[in-house]
Amino acid sequence: MKNRLFSVELPFGKAPALLVLVTALTGLYLFFHPVETSRATLRLWTFASNHAVPYQKAIPSFEAVHPGTQLEVQLVHGDAVNSRLRAAFWADLDVPDLVEVEISRAGSFFRGPAEDVGFIDLMPILKRTGYYDRIVQTRFAPYQNRGRIYGLPHDVHPVVLAYRRDLFEELGIDVRQIRTWDDFVRIGREVSVPGERYMIELSDNNAGHFEMFLFQRDGGYFDAEGALIMDNEVALETLLFFIPLVAGSERIGSDLGSSRLFTQAVESGYFLSFICPDWRSKGTETDIPRMGGKMALMPLPAVHVGGRRTSTWGGTMLGITKSCPDPELAWQVAEHMYFNKAELAERFRETNILPPLKDAWEHPAFDEPRAYWSGQKLGRIYADLADDVPPQYASPFIETAKSKMAGVISSCAAYYRENGREGFEEFARARLLAAAEEVRRYIQRNPY
Amino acid sequence: MGWQRFGLHAVLVLCSVVMLTPMVWLVAATIKGPDDLFHYLFFPSPSRFSLYNFRQLFEQIPYVRFMINSLFVAGATVLVQLFFSSLGGFALAKYEFKGKRLIMVLMLTTMMIPAQVMLAPMYELIYAMGLVDSYWGLIIPGAVSVFGMFLFRQSMLDLPDDLLQAGRIDGCTELRLYWDVVLPVQRPMIGAFCLIAFMGSWNNFLWPQIILHSQERFTLPIGLNQMVGLYAQEYGAMMAGTLLAVLPVVLLFFLLQKEFISGLTAGAVKG
Amino acid sequence: MNALFFRLQHRYAPYLFVAPFVILFLTFTLYPIAKSLSLSFYITNGPKSQVFVGWDNFRFLWGDPAFHRAVWNTCTYALTSVFLQLPLSLGLALLLNSRLVKGRNFFRFGFFSPHLVGQVFVAVLFSVVFIPKFGLLNRVLHALVGTAIDTKWLGNPELVMPALVLTSLWMYVGFNMIYFLAALQSVDRELYEAAQVDGAGAFKQFVHVTLPGIRSVAVFVTVLSTIGSFQLFELPYVMLSNTAGPDNSGLTVVMYLFQNGFIAGDLGYASAIGWTLTMGVLVISLAQMRLTGTWKRED
Repeated sequence: MKNRLFSVELPFGKAPALLVLVTALTGLYLFFHPVETSRATLRLWTFASNHAVPYQKAIPSFEAVHPGTQLEVQLVHGDAVNSRLRAAFWADLDVPDLVEVEISRAGSFFRGPAEDVGFIDLMPILKRTGYYDRIVQTRFAPYQNRGRIYGLPHDVHPVVLAYRRDLFEELGIDVRQIRTWDDFVRIGREVSVPGERYMIELSDNNAGHFEMFLFQRDGGYFDAEGALIMDNEVALETLLFFIPLVAGSERIGSDLGSSRLFTQAVESGYFLSFICPDWRSKGTETDIPRMGGKMALMPLPAVHVGGRRTSTWGGTMLGITKSCPDPELAWQVAEHMYFNKAELAERFRETNILPPLKDAWEHPAFDEPRAYWSGQKLGRIYADLADDVPPQYASPFIETAKSKMAGVISSCAAYYRENGREGFEEFARARLLAAAEEVRRYIQRNPY
Repeated sequence: MGWQRFGLHAVLVLCSVVMLTPMVWLVAATIKGPDDLFHYLFFPSPSRFSLYNFRQLFEQIPYVRFMINSLFVAGATVLVQLFFSSLGGFALAKYEFKGKRLIMVLMLTTMMIPAQVMLAPMYELIYAMGLVDSYWGLIIPGAVSVFGMFLFRQSMLDLPDDLLQAGRIDGCTELRLYWDVVLPVQRPMIGAFCLIAFMGSWNNFLWPQIILHSQERFTLPIGLNQMVGLYAQEYGAMMAGTLLAVLPVVLLFFLLQKEFISGLTAGAVKG
Repeated sequence: MNALFFRLQHRYAPYLFVAPFVILFLTFTLYPIAKSLSLSFYITNGPKSQVFVGWDNFRFLWGDPAFHRAVWNTCTYALTSVFLQLPLSLGLALLLNSRLVKGRNFFRFGFFSPHLVGQVFVAVLFSVVFIPKFGLLNRVLHALVGTAIDTKWLGNPELVMPALVLTSLWMYVGFNMIYFLAALQSVDRELYEAAQVDGAGAFKQFVHVTLPGIRSVAVFVTVLSTIGSFQLFELPYVMLSNTAGPDNSGLTVVMYLFQNGFIAGDLGYASAIGWTLTMGVLVISLAQMRLTGTWKRED
């Protein structure tokens, strides 16, 4: 009857006793380790770990010039930046002074009456300081709305093609012969083996890769005036070209997913090439170290001979929030992080990201040959293409448009897998139109 | 007869294999190094076992903090729910009072209406109360479990009235009666309710996702979901995080499984 | 004095005991419901700026293809859980209830255990089970039936729903089985013996003894799974890395509500979706209960 003794101590059974114990212990821990309220006088949020690390390194040099200022750089998950920032703007919660926002999300913060937008307009200060003319012009487009600039561009993000140089040589592919996408596709069809080897990594279910083809052809979601153009002739033409690359028996592209899956796919030769913006080239170096010396870069094939040999993928803006008590000081942080040439050069070595400040590219760091990329001058390759980078225009509805476009890609790929060319053009046209109509319905509903 | 028995067990074993394979796979994934993760379908030879994933998990994200947050929130929620729900259930089972029928109807309605319709105003309310991004914003709105009130009402209906009367004659107040006489005999139902409520709170996702903003306050489901994006997808570490997150529920289940099964089915089979 | 105190505390005790429920009901149920009804007539950009639009939200909802997709997906999921999952649960329960079974507790735990994992964690686990080329499912299927090893279960709009259904089968079949098993065990053994005396075969026994015996539990489980299915959110949301999946193939009604209210910031439209969902769930569960009611009258 040992149990009897036990149950006298625990009148309500084991479970509540255990829970009281657990709650008390964890409660005590939480009581003595409260969430630290920051002592920083200025706070910056970023969603990318490869941004956070160099910014954190740059804090001491900033604080040395600005005594009394305590700068804090916080790494926050991309979705969380979105939801926290929005909740904070709504509810006057704790808002950071500076925040980096991803390119496709930026537009959604420009919704509502202009005076309610949570960021300050940077146009006056950009003009006054002369930075406006020193920055790659097309990079302001995504952060511009109703004549105001709400964010400083962090990057240019030109794209090139990264390829397995060793495998290309083995297969007898001469990259000098690849000038247009038609050349690329022809060779791709010869070397792709379904389920085993694909010429290029391309997704058939999200808009990310498709977009690059669209931008390269001067297409897009919205034009400079903010009108929806995702269903124009360029878009249709791009779609008709793109889908057969990723669906059907003659496809040359496939995708598996990110990180380890991607690493495996490149190492095993499942992908011979992939589209590689500057930021991804660093990811490739660190995630797939075993391919060092076996990889190389080449400009994107053009649509027509002599056409644009690049496009763009991704981007980040740095905004100063309206709740920041000292915007002048915040601007100086932005200047320190974004326009300090010596640090930009050093950061380029660490991140491979080409800064949008054009005169920074004169630094020798951009001409260093990289062993990983078979001795190519990575910085110069990207910098030479930077002026050709097509613009992307902002709209509060950009996320909606992107998700509808992704739907178009998925359903067109499914149709093409099933039926091939038969009736494909009509299907694609109808789907594109329907998707654009949906976005228009949202836009028309907007009361602001 | 022998063949029938054999066939029956063959089917059952096959089903168990299907059910348990993903779990075995999960466990295997957690102890493989990054190079072996996709190389071996299940377990590599023991010499290749590695703690790499757990190291990643603890170094890359504040996993321990998530765990402590989750334990605190779930523990506190269950205790508060247990108290209020059993109290309410007691009143409904053993007292006659005005408005009792109305309360039962309200409870039924609450159970039928999807909680999601209330999300938007709840967020405003919690904001107005200054509870956004706090543990209390999670605990207070769920302080009474309607399901729990039904459960306790059901099992307290069987309590003999003589027992209560005897207590009253001894000079017990009603609250004392509840605490000293009623609760102790409800031990099995308390055990069942604790586990059911714990699982509910432990796996709660939507509401914490909406009101928690600082990473330091995240509970495990939120933290683990966000981890997928923030640091390049480390499948092994994700699996390790999942495995550890399931352990507390499994432990509680083994502690309470008898009460749990009977509690779970009590409402359904009786009613 | 003392006697008065005892009388009063006896009379008012039940009110005190249900007070927490009443207070919480008023603040966190009644008020939000009323408020969400009024919100559903506004377009909002966060709680601060709101514009009255009358019935516009509902009109827009009526013609919103994304919402139609969400309803379609949710109904498909609900139907499979009622017509695929529950029969499987019942089947397993029947097998386990056989007197021939040895190690019943082991099997019962084995079937039930997936439910202990919890929706979000199941979703994380299965997002990896479904990955192309290296995922458990693709490797097993490739080895057994030779399907393509790089099948993208979560990247192909036609495969997302099957993947979701598969996951929910894994998670809930054993859970619902517990209910059926308990019901089967409560059916009077003598009824079977009487049926055997009457010369009824296994099938007839099932139809005439088993089914009526577990009817109330079956209804309870059906209503519960239907309501649960209509609230589907975590599983697809986490599995599809916080998206609605390719071409909205994993979009559910609650996910659409969440996206509109808490990602896009239109709490008004979210409330309109919420009210539509509530009406749908109420109608369906009342219909299901009504159905039981008629069964009862036939007895």
